[in-house]
Amino acid sequence: MKPNIKNVVMGLVTPVTLFGLLAINPALAREPYTKAELADQEKALLAVVDHGRDLWHGSKASMSTNGLACGNCHPDAAASNPQTFPKFQADLGRVIPIRDMVNWCIMVPQGGQPLDANSEDMVAMEAYAFYMYRGEKIQPGLATKQTAPVVVKSGPGFPKKGSGIGYDK
Amino acid sequence: MTDFDKVSRRDFLTISGKAGLATLMASAVGVNFGIVQVAEAAVGKGNVTPFRFAILTDAHLFSMPVHKFDAQMADAVDKVMSMKPLPDFVVYCGDIAQNGKDDQLRKGMKILSKLTMPVHFIPGEHDWYLDMGAAWRGHFGSPTWSFDHKGVHFIGMNSILVRDFWTAAGMSAEERMGVMEMLESPIAGPWGVREEQLDWLKKDVKKLAPDTPVVVFTHSPLWDYYPRWNFQTEDAPEIRQILSKFERVMAFHGHVHQTVYNKIGNLSSVGTLSTSWPWPYPDVKLPYPDMQMYRSDPAIFTDGDGAQHIDLESNFSGVMQYDPFGDMLTPAMKNGFKI
Repeated sequence: MKPNIKNVVMGLVTPVTLFGLLAINPALAREPYTKAELADQEKALLAVVDHGRDLWHGSKASMSTNGLACGNCHPDAAASNPQTFPKFQADLGRVIPIRDMVNWCIMVPQGGQPLDANSEDMVAMEAYAFYMYRGEKIQPGLATKQTAPVVVKSGPGFPKKGSGIGYDK
Repeated sequence: MTDFDKVSRRDFLTISGKAGLATLMASAVGVNFGIVQVAEAAVGKGNVTPFRFAILTDAHLFSMPVHKFDAQMADAVDKVMSMKPLPDFVVYCGDIAQNGKDDQLRKGMKILSKLTMPVHFIPGEHDWYLDMGAAWRGHFGSPTWSFDHKGVHFIGMNSILVRDFWTAAGMSAEERMGVMEMLESPIAGPWGVREEQLDWLKKDVKKLAPDTPVVVFTHSPLWDYYPRWNFQTEDAPEIRQILSKFERVMAFHGHVHQTVYNKIGNLSSVGTLSTSWPWPYPDVKLPYPDMQMYRSDPAIFTDGDGAQHIDLESNFSGVMQYDPFGDMLTPAMKNGFKI
């Protein structure tokens, strides 16, 4: 078999180029991020999460033709379980990533137009769902729970503590 | 003729197959926006004549001319009308409308008009916050009522009252409604029945003997289930205190769109299936986990939804039977359960 010239050249050039970049660009082997930099990154993430929350609750009209939004069935992203994807989806008969599930919900229960899988909107939807499940163990393929992701104990307008009443068997 | 001859003026406005007439008459005589007084009738544990009543709730109808929730509500009505025996009456536990519009309420009334028995209504937040209940009261009268039927004292209250979050914020009516439409919105804060209804409740039950069978309906649960989603009523402790003199109280609520049961002191609390969509369960430990329904299939729009009925016996024991559209009941619920 004749060697592919392009592959040979790339095989030589790529390591050399990377080595050169590392040597001349300290940004590729940098010191840990500063607190300020991390705060900026967190701020950027939360902006995307906020956008995702808005989309989740109906801010993009094309995602629904019947008035329903993701939040109708998944308040606080409950029962969306992004940490269990990719997994086998029985209705579709194959293993899918969370974004396929998002688009299925948009198209079927909501009767809307799916999002471009690589769009900023889809990234935002995923960011919101994953953010709500932060701290949950990643378990691809796990059958889902039908509960809320994390216990959100309080928020503006809500009491900081429950009444303590409720479990009197 | 039933004991409903003795009930309040509110029942004059029940739709029971006469939705158009009731609306016309309500308009003609002027609607009582106040709280309805209790009908006088003999009630007590020894006086209960066994009977059945049904509960429908949470249709969340949209203004679109054709919507899947319309058909689902109609299916639930058909379920009630196919019950043998038929229920003596139906209680509608709130959220006929999705965002409080009059056409949504009217559409619901039209669908419910197939019911041949009286229907009693309490509001949900989706019915209320566009016009602060004006349209709802115009159709259904007071949200606070009681009546006696076959020896049982029935109470309905409006549990979705929140503190004014809109005036200072300069919100429009639509914005206010939008805040209330979002289950997990942190803006509105906790719901409650508030002082006026608490005072009414005290007076309503004052003369009743402790062995009186009492059944109470609210949109939200009368226990602290999951406040973030208003799966609670802020002044439920006060309500339970007022009702603590009774040997037994049964409480039924809408809003949660799921099967759920709890018992606190003398009060048994039962959540009801919606006709629109099922809510997930909050991540809290359920007091009676066997009463958690199986997860619904989102590909089947009616899965996890349905109706329910209750058969009351002469000793005021009750059998609660969920009537789901699909097969989603655990063995503990499948053939009904005692409450």
